Amino acid sequence: MSLVHFQILSAALFSIGLYGVLARRSAVLILLSIELMLNAVNINLIAFSAYTESLASTGQVIAIFVITVAAAEVGLALAIIINLFRSKGSVDIDKIDVMRW
Amino acid sequence: MMLLDFTVMEGVQVAWLAPAACILAFVLIVSLRMFDSKIGSVISIVAIASGFAIFLYVFGQFNESGPAEFAREWFTIGSTKITLGMAIDQLSVVMLGVITFVALLVQIYSVSYMEEESRFGWYFGVHSLFAASMLILVLANNLLLLYVAWELVGLCSYLLIGFWYEKRSASEAAKKAFITTRIGDVGLLIGIILLYRTAGTFDTSTIIHIAQEGGFADSTLMAAVLLIFLGAMGKSAQFPLHVWLPDAMEGPTPVSALIHAATMVVAGIYLVARIFPLFEVADPSLTVVAVVGLSTAVIAASIALVMTDLKKILAYSTVSHLGFMMLALGSGAYVVAMFHLFTHAFAKALLFLSAGSVDHGTGGKRDIRQLGGLRKKMPITFVTFSIGALALAGVPPLGGFFSKDEIMMAVMDGRHPVFFLIAIIAAFMSSVYMIRALILVFFGDLKPENQEAHESPALITAPLLILAGISLVAGLVLSGWQDFFNAKHHDINFLVLALSLLASLGGLFLGWAIYSKEWISSRDVAAKFGDLEKYASNGYYLDVGYQWCIDRIVLVVARIVSLFDRIVVNDVAVNGTGYSVFLSGFKLRYVETGKVYNYALAMVVGILVVGLTIYWGLI
Amino acid sequence: MTNFWLFIPEFTITALAFGVIGADLFLARENKKYLPWISSIGLIVVLGIALNYLLGKQENLYGGLFLIDDFSMFFKVFFLILGLLVVLISSEYVKNHIKHPGEYYGILIFSILAMMLMAASGELLTAYISLELLSFCLYVLVASGRYGEKSTEAGVKYILLGAVASAFMLYGISQIYGLVGTTKFADMNLVLVAENSSALDLGLIMGIVFIIGGLAFKIAAVPFHMWAPDVYEGAPTPITAYLAVGSKAAAFALILRMMSSGFISIMEDWQMVIIVIAALTMTLGNLVALAQNNIKRLLAYSSIGHVGYLLMGVVAMTPLAFDGIMLHLVGYGVTNLACFMCIIMLYNSTGRDDVAGYAGLADRSPFLAMSMAVALFSLAGLPFFAGFTTKFYLFTAVANEGLIWLVGLAILNSLISLYYYLMVIKSMYIDPSEDTTVLVFSRYSLSVLGILVVFIFLVGVYPGPLVELIQEASQSLFSYIP
Repeated sequence: MSLVHFQILSAALFSIGLYGVLARRSAVLILLSIELMLNAVNINLIAFSAYTESLASTGQVIAIFVITVAAAEVGLALAIIINLFRSKGSVDIDKIDVMRW
Repeated sequence: MMLLDFTVMEGVQVAWLAPAACILAFVLIVSLRMFDSKIGSVISIVAIASGFAIFLYVFGQFNESGPAEFAREWFTIGSTKITLGMAIDQLSVVMLGVITFVALLVQIYSVSYMEEESRFGWYFGVHSLFAASMLILVLANNLLLLYVAWELVGLCSYLLIGFWYEKRSASEAAKKAFITTRIGDVGLLIGIILLYRTAGTFDTSTIIHIAQEGGFADSTLMAAVLLIFLGAMGKSAQFPLHVWLPDAMEGPTPVSALIHAATMVVAGIYLVARIFPLFEVADPSLTVVAVVGLSTAVIAASIALVMTDLKKILAYSTVSHLGFMMLALGSGAYVVAMFHLFTHAFAKALLFLSAGSVDHGTGGKRDIRQLGGLRKKMPITFVTFSIGALALAGVPPLGGFFSKDEIMMAVMDGRHPVFFLIAIIAAFMSSVYMIRALILVFFGDLKPENQEAHESPALITAPLLILAGISLVAGLVLSGWQDFFNAKHHDINFLVLALSLLASLGGLFLGWAIYSKEWISSRDVAAKFGDLEKYASNGYYLDVGYQWCIDRIVLVVARIVSLFDRIVVNDVAVNGTGYSVFLSGFKLRYVETGKVYNYALAMVVGILVVGLTIYWGLI
Repeated sequence: MTNFWLFIPEFTITALAFGVIGADLFLARENKKYLPWISSIGLIVVLGIALNYLLGKQENLYGGLFLIDDFSMFFKVFFLILGLLVVLISSEYVKNHIKHPGEYYGILIFSILAMMLMAASGELLTAYISLELLSFCLYVLVASGRYGEKSTEAGVKYILLGAVASAFMLYGISQIYGLVGTTKFADMNLVLVAENSSALDLGLIMGIVFIIGGLAFKIAAVPFHMWAPDVYEGAPTPITAYLAVGSKAAAFALILRMMSSGFISIMEDWQMVIIVIAALTMTLGNLVALAQNNIKRLLAYSSIGHVGYLLMGVVAMTPLAFDGIMLHLVGYGVTNLACFMCIIMLYNSTGRDDVAGYAGLADRSPFLAMSMAVALFSLAGLPFFAGFTTKFYLFTAVANEGLIWLVGLAILNSLISLYYYLMVIKSMYIDPSEDTTVLVFSRYSLSVLGILVVFIFLVGVYPGPLVELIQEASQSLFSYIP
């Protein structure tokens, strides 16, 4: 196992998340895909700080920050999505196109 | 350079008070909300009258102390100081006089002409602002301040031409004038910035100095000068950017007189004269100026021949004469151009105001086919209009004769004889359309519906008489003019003199023969030039062409871009029936618009493109 | 020893935000109208504290994570005044259209805190967290409209796309962190200078590009702009104004600091990309604006156009160009607020925000129509209005670096923009209105609008003192470059 392997894992996870964002139609699933992307970042950060002497584990600190921010983001997004569900009865983003031109 | 101290009240430095008084009048009228009140006109007239008084004082002082420059720091761009400054020299003193005087007369005239209008006070407020910006334009000692005033003139003309904004045509004309001149302004601003980039200053005299020392690269100077000339073309209504001027006749007649005689349209001429040394250094650019001027003179004169609206005739005549001025500039004789500007300003203001008087006296008629025989009913207007028309036609000893003759000599000296010949033809046409307007409006039989026509009140005729008097004698100041500008006197070239005299008198005779004696039927003439006449009376279809360009190119590009931007289902676009088939293809493809994943996809594609660009850029 | 006094504006504004939310809990419903006053007085106090303690200081906190210098000071003051103005233009709108005023003002104040932190951050993670704080506040504010699906829809679109953009940016940060070995801008620059720039590998490019992408989303540059029109249209109008001015200015503050002290040594690599983005952004923004018929959407595209102009300054990368950017941010900000104040006033009394709703406004309320015309002329960049002076400064600065064709394009775009602004003005002054009742506005909103219009003229006619302040600010930014 070397740094490159972790980088590839991270890039793959990021791409899977991105694919989910582009392909899914449910707002909640898009949100989950974004979480995947953020976790890819965390893997990247921790791998870098574990394999590079000079970085002195600061990457792990950054990862904790990222996890915190991500948690807040999910909470906020879900709140807004619930609001959407209340007004539309659906979280399908195909149906939210009142504003488009 | 002396510091401009706003407390000093001596010497030529007081010139800044003239625009300041006008701005003060505008601020007073707007802040006291006198939009409908008659007091607005008093404030405004007092301001412009004091402007004229200041001119008289400055003129006296100038003859003693000579040119001067004053400046005061405004703000800095990096290490470049931007100044509020003014340059007092022959050019700006002359313009100061012409502008304040004509504006004063036009405002006095307006008191009576516009008395029925609502927003009477607002009219005078904008008038003041217009005069102020025009004065700043001519006094400015740096190109940035000049540009600021230049744009402000455009804005005021927008407000004045669109004064009757309830009238759709008026507001469209105002918008057209604003946008068309702005097209030129794009060039002007880029040109100014180009000059700044090398010179590191906006100061006109410094830039000229640097250019004469050879401080600019040839190509830079050439490009800058031509771009600035583009700005002058827009403002001075040179072909093919002249289309706004005839439409601008939708504004009140005094506004036409002000804008088209002494102020806005001559700003372009003034600008070229102001930076004339730059044109001389970048020599081939003067050829461009001459060609543009000449073609404007001929084309506009030919259109004026077939117009039937009195104000449109005058409008195209203005365009044509602006062409003559540009031609004079292009032939290297800016003193002559300024002289023609001077004589033309009075004659054209006179003609417009007389046309307004006709309009006032006949209850709003402007079509020359419905007028006729008015000389008995409106004797003063008849006399003044004739003086203006003959002056512009170039009949000696009126003002126009001298200036036109000077232009012809300058063209003969500075340009190929072909230029001279075409200019003579344009001068000939200008005689014909002038006499045509004069005869059709004032001679012949009085139409029964015009029995009620009456002479206008004294507030209208007084400015007319003053302007007529000046037009009569304006030519006589020629030698004084040349001394004032330290220009050399031309030796009289009798061939040129004879030809130009022949052209104007021949034109008059021909016009008289056609329209008064009817020896030659105007219908036959029109039939002979059938197609040409059709093209000319439609302004050579330039408007149609521009409209086509806007509709088919600009707006279609805008729509395609919006399609691309997922704004496909725009009802504006769908309404165009011709495009609907074309559109439906796009519509089907992008039917899923307003969707989050489309937007996200655009971002991803964007990032990929940016990344690959940098990556390949590195390889 | 960390000198916490340097943090005092941030501490006090946090206290203010909690104070406003707390006051909301205890105030009776009929007393909630005092909330905007509490907020604005609080903001003025914070402004006073900031000026008193920090003016002219050149220090840093936590070894360079936070930078206190003229640049961050300028933006602190700018954001505080901006926040104050947004509170002022909001108050009548909030009364009618927002359910929970306490949260609205509290979160608004938090977002000001976030913007202040963004301008002061000297490091990627700090920048990221303050950016996220700002975004979270804005997500809530955008979605806070009481009635109508539009606001919620705008909120969903904004948060989903915003989260994707910040994920990209975060990935970029992790790449930079791993490959450069630091997240501090100044250290990054040292490392990049030491390395040969042609040795940049794909990972590093990815990092830079992803960060640029994330920030480009924030400023709504093409092709990361698509959220902007939808969100601008759906958001409560004062928040639209705030988005157009505040979040953009904060992102630009961050971009300026990051590019000038972090990535300046590899400038050749990213410059061309920014040039293309700038050209595309201004052209697309102005062209598409031609086809709009909702005033908020129209202004959204117009603001995209303005981002294009501002990006030219980033390309030029000189103190002069940075002056231009900051100056234009101020001029554009004031003008845009005036414009949105007009929109809010009209919306409050007629409920219209389509361009057709402006028909005959000149007869229904001459002052409103004239103020709107002034604001639009200023946006188009006509002289004597703020828009001209600031735009001219920016364009000159960019042209000085030899990007004449780009400046030419920008001037051409200003011409196009005049066309669609004139459409609105035409509608106000010419088109007849089906409803001709005279509109009456409160003395309060008229005076706020009056103040904004005066500012437009002030910046346009007498920019001298402002320019001096900005020049000091941008010099302090370039003092970090060794």
